[in-house]
Amino acid sequence: MESAFRRGAREGLRDFLPISVGLLPWAMVTGIAMRSIGLSEIESLGMNLLVYAGTAQLGALPLIAAGAPLWLIMLTALALNLRFVIFSAAIAPVFHDSSFARRLASSYLLVDGVFAVGADKLLQADDPHWRWGYYIAPSAFNWCVWQVFTALGIFGAEFMPRDWSLEFMVTIALMVMVLPMVRTRPMLVAALAGGLGAVLLRGLPLRLGVVAGIAVGIAAGFAAEHWQQRGARS
Amino acid sequence: MTEGVWLWVAFALMAMTTVGTRGSFILLGEKGRLPPALQRALRYAPAAALSALVMPDLLLDGGEFTPLNPKFAAGLVVLAVALRWRNPWLPFILGMGVLLVMRKGLGW
Repeated sequence: MESAFRRGAREGLRDFLPISVGLLPWAMVTGIAMRSIGLSEIESLGMNLLVYAGTAQLGALPLIAAGAPLWLIMLTALALNLRFVIFSAAIAPVFHDSSFARRLASSYLLVDGVFAVGADKLLQADDPHWRWGYYIAPSAFNWCVWQVFTALGIFGAEFMPRDWSLEFMVTIALMVMVLPMVRTRPMLVAALAGGLGAVLLRGLPLRLGVVAGIAVGIAAGFAAEHWQQRGARS
Repeated sequence: MTEGVWLWVAFALMAMTTVGTRGSFILLGEKGRLPPALQRALRYAPAAALSALVMPDLLLDGGEFTPLNPKFAAGLVVLAVALRWRNPWLPFILGMGVLLVMRKGLGW
């Protein structure tokens, strides 16, 4: 008889597999982008292993290229990772009976795709072995795919022409990531205010304009949500 | 450009934000709970942050506000393509294509 862990692992992989295809271009572009701003192969691989967060990596690259202060690089990565606080809060009950080591591994490996596909099933499952299999198998698979295809981008970047403005791929990647987020009006307001805020406040010292823009965007989105709810009630 | 040891320090700090955010409640266990108002406000952080990185690159040219530039045109193409088709490669191919044609072909 098959163990609960393996049944969970197989079901988790089956649910996750279709959306993992979308990961491939991101991974390759992230690899090329890291090289295009001047990181070496080792530095790119190291960043990818340590940070393991595509959005935060892509978002931090312009700041690293500009030699921005460390705290600003960290703050930007933090802002781009903040959505995981929400995911973490939502999925935490799944791990209430797990060891610390498993919870630490699960934290490092938590990604949008596995959360989006599996959170509901995980929260409803009773068997801890099934849950562990269902979570860790697609998460580990995602990690392997990400590392392999980023490495392809990192080592393939050498064969790309130098003067092709390849760093613009970072901007394209960030644009494509923001699009599915701005489906609701407050999200759209937050994005527009954040972007325009960063443009208008670009004169601030230490490239603080980006952080200021993010703060403006959060405030605007929150305000828009508030007005929308008031409008719906009256 | 951030270089040498400082680059690795930057990576380590970024890694802390990865594990710190993803692990926040998983590691705390049942002890922690996020105030609902803060949770709602945080939802806007990723969209605001991505846009705060994208729009300056599209709208500024050498620090000056220049809405009519090749990157902005390429950005519009990326938006249109990404909204219209689900193919994940297409925005990169057409966006880079437009930028390169305008820069190299038209010398803009």
